[in-house]
Amino acid sequence: MVPGLLWLAVFAVVPLGFLAVVSLWKASAFGLSTDASLDSYRILTNDPVYARVLWQTLRIALVTTLLSLVISYPLAMFLARLKGQHKTLAVLLVFLPFCTSYVVRTFVWLPMLGRAGVVNQALIGLGIIDRPIDWLLYSEGTVYVGLVYVYTLYMTLPIYLSLDRLDPKLVEAAGDLGATPLQAFRRVVLPLSMPGVWSGCIMVFLLSCGAYVTPQLLGGTSGQMIGNVIAAQFLHTNNWPLGAALSIVLVAVVIGFVFVAGRRLGMQELFMGERR
Amino acid sequence: MRMPRLLGAYAGAFYAFLYVPIAVMVVLSFNDSEIMGFPLKGFSLRWYGEAFAANELLGALFNSFAVGIFASIIATALALMIALGLRHRVPFREAVLPVVLIPIITPGIVSGVLLYVSFGVVGLPYGLSTAVLAAHVTWVLPFAFLTLYPRLHRFDRSIEEAAMDLGATPWVVFRRVVLPLIRPAIIATVLFSFTLSFDEFIRTLFVVGSQRTTPVYLWLLIAEQMATFLPAVGVVIMLISVVVAGIGFWVSGRAARLAARVEN
Repeated sequence: MVPGLLWLAVFAVVPLGFLAVVSLWKASAFGLSTDASLDSYRILTNDPVYARVLWQTLRIALVTTLLSLVISYPLAMFLARLKGQHKTLAVLLVFLPFCTSYVVRTFVWLPMLGRAGVVNQALIGLGIIDRPIDWLLYSEGTVYVGLVYVYTLYMTLPIYLSLDRLDPKLVEAAGDLGATPLQAFRRVVLPLSMPGVWSGCIMVFLLSCGAYVTPQLLGGTSGQMIGNVIAAQFLHTNNWPLGAALSIVLVAVVIGFVFVAGRRLGMQELFMGERR
Repeated sequence: MRMPRLLGAYAGAFYAFLYVPIAVMVVLSFNDSEIMGFPLKGFSLRWYGEAFAANELLGALFNSFAVGIFASIIATALALMIALGLRHRVPFREAVLPVVLIPIITPGIVSGVLLYVSFGVVGLPYGLSTAVLAAHVTWVLPFAFLTLYPRLHRFDRSIEEAAMDLGATPWVVFRRVVLPLIRPAIIATVLFSFTLSFDEFIRTLFVVGSQRTTPVYLWLLIAEQMATFLPAVGVVIMLISVVVAGIGFWVSGRAARLAARVEN
């Protein structure tokens, strides 16, 4: 097991150290200076732009997580109730779109929501509007659609697994004891599916926090996330220290969330859907 | 349990949400129109012709296949070593899982710039065979581990012990007893790992240098020029991923059946 862990140390852990070091460098008109300085962090705290984009990122990630939860839970219930070949097929059909690149799965929304897209043309065809709606694309709302579309499997799957393990006799017993279906759901099914719910929420939240493709392609100017600001420091303004400092802040936030969730639920359960 | 009608209808809507955008892309890829959108103007294969006429797509596909094959095999081998090691009492056993999960927990955009900065600071060259391969193996490894570990974990140790009692060396036990039993799981893991690497974008974009993988090529196509053959390129990429993943599901289904037979 040593080679595997060594690989992770060299390519996953040590680079984080490099990133931290670079975040303490200084960018100037003449290039990078390797003298230790807190300049980049000072820029982050002094310019409200960065606090705003971090806040917007967390808000978008949170809303995406809640939306995914709401649309995934009923589907997970549907899958858990199926039997035999129907079940295999239905689960496979949920999986298949997620096998392909999220660049493709984000791109598909351009011809859906653009001016000549399906939604606009359908609404014009039905006579509901007479000119294409522009705000379907390139807004914060579009980012929600894109992120939910790309990441919702990570919510559906763990909830489905925890519902699938649930013994249907428990629900029957609740019914025999006089519980209405709603009561049985609230008092029996929901509490037992919470490990799956938490695991799904953490995964979708983490993935959304680090999003770049979706906000870049669908977000326009109002739907930008921290990923776009970080990428810009490396691709356009060439300010490595500032990009590194922003990355360190994002990593700190994310690790904070995982740590809290991991303490409550256990890593094993969070990522492998196993009960302790 | 009976399926409530409302739940069935909801599932229909969910599948529509998943598949309508993809269906639209497929339809547009055959649409004989200069603009990427509606109304439809008739059937045409010219966008596929144009997509492949530019040699960039074929080059990018070749690069993605090469990186995918190497990355999936290396990552599966490394993950297998960790998973096998975890079955024994090792020091810091509890710390292994969090370390393996680091590449998943690290936000995508940060993973993207991590190796860009590190290779830059150390002075190593960017490119497919260096930074991209390293980034892909690192990204795929946790998933390979998460697929392999449960298979190995449930595995009946007494079969191995019996072989050892009969005088087999650890290597022979692995080659002749463990490997044949987990071979389908390994093959499935390599295939899933391949699709993960084949589709990887954000960890590739920064470190790929002047070379192109398929998702990077598609991205630049979208960003630089809204080429009308974009849907065709999307369909090609999707088909490859779905076929490889489909084989993966098939193999892993067989692996699960084999495991069930051994366990009983």
